Amino acid sequence: MLTTRRVLETFKQIGITHVVGLPDNSTAALFHELADDPDIYLITVTREGEAFATAAGLWIGGARPLVVIQNTGLLESGDALRGTLMRMRIPVVCLVSYRGYKTLPNPMPPLTPDELSRRDVDSVAVLLEPTLRAWALPYDIITDNAELEKIINAQQRAIANHFPNFIVIAETIR
Amino acid sequence: MLTQAQFLEPLARRRTDQIVVSTMSLVRAWGRLSKHEFDFAFADSAMGHAQSLALGIALAQPQRRVICLNGDGSMLMSLGALVTIAQCRARNLLVFVAQNNTYEVTGNQNIPGAGAVEFHHVARACGFPEAFHFADAREYETHLDELLHLQGPVLVSVRLEPGAEPPPNRRQTEDTPYLRGSLAESAHRLREALHRDESN
Repeated sequence: MLTTRRVLETFKQIGITHVVGLPDNSTAALFHELADDPDIYLITVTREGEAFATAAGLWIGGARPLVVIQNTGLLESGDALRGTLMRMRIPVVCLVSYRGYKTLPNPMPPLTPDELSRRDVDSVAVLLEPTLRAWALPYDIITDNAELEKIINAQQRAIANHFPNFIVIAETIR
Repeated sequence: MLTQAQFLEPLARRRTDQIVVSTMSLVRAWGRLSKHEFDFAFADSAMGHAQSLALGIALAQPQRRVICLNGDGSMLMSLGALVTIAQCRARNLLVFVAQNNTYEVTGNQNIPGAGAVEFHHVARACGFPEAFHFADAREYETHLDELLHLQGPVLVSVRLEPGAEPPPNRRQTEDTPYLRGSLAESAHRLREALHRDESN
C-alpha cells in the first residue's frame, strides 16, 4: 500500500521544494495533501509538457522540484521532456502513475496493432515501459510504502548522472 | 508596427540584473544586444515552453525579475501556460510576446489565427493582472520603464514586422556567446551564475 503521508515524508527527506504536475485518480490524494502542505509548493499545470519546462526553470533557479504526472501525460509531453530536462541534463525525479497497470497481460504482448487496440488492455500501460526504455530514461516501479526508498535512490542517480530519473507508481496513493 | 530593433533595443538599454529567457527568432537578436550572464537562450530545446521555464526560474528566484522574450507561434503552442502563470501569481515575471503573425525561423508561414489573436486579452482572461499591447514604437518605449517595474505577472504583446532570422543554432561559430555552448552547459552555467550572485 502507498500512503500520502509516507510519500510526502520521502519528498521532504530528499529536500523537494516544489511539486509540479497534473493529478489523476491514483495521485489525487497526494495532490490534495500537497495543496495544504506548508513545506512544498504545489504547481498544477494545464498540460504535462509545462511540468517538465517549469521543473527545469525551478532547478536552474536553485530549487529542487519533482514532477508528478500520469503515463498518458508522459506520452503527450515527449518533446518538452526531451528538450528541457533531458537536453539540459537536469536532475529531476519524475513520478509517473501507471494507468492500466492492472490490465496488463502476463506475459506482455508484442507491440502490434491488434494488441494495441484490444478492448481489455489499456494501451498506454502497454506502451509506458517500452517508451521509457526507448528514451533511455532510468526508472523503477513502486507499489508499496516499503519501496519508497527507490525515490531516494532515483534522486541520487539523477544528481550523479545529471539526468531525469523516473519512478512509476503502479498503485493508488491513499 | 515595430521593427525588431525598436522592440529589443530600448529593452536592452533598460535591462539591469533581470534574467532574460529568449526563444526562436529573438535569440540571436537579443544576443547581439546583450552579453549578460543572466541571459538564457531557450534554443535547441522544446518550442512552446520558454514561458514555463521562465515561470520556474521566477518562482525559484522571487527576489529577481524574469523577462521572457517569447514568439507568437511559440505562445500559441502552450496557451494553457498562461493560466498556470496567473495561478502561481509570479509577480516577478514579465512575458513579452513578439507578434509578427508568422513562424519566422521557418520562412514566415502564417501562424494559426494570424492577426486575429489578441494575446493581451487572452492573458487577462487567464487571470493576468496586467496585460498590454503595443503597435507603436514611441508608445512602447514611453511605457517600457513602467512595464519593467509592474507587479506581475505581466504580459506584453508587441506587434512586430516579420523578419528573416534563421533558426537559432548552438555552434562555436555563433557570434552570440550564449549560443556557443550546449543547452545543458547554458542551463548549468545560469544556475551557477545565480547561485554565485546570491552568495556575494
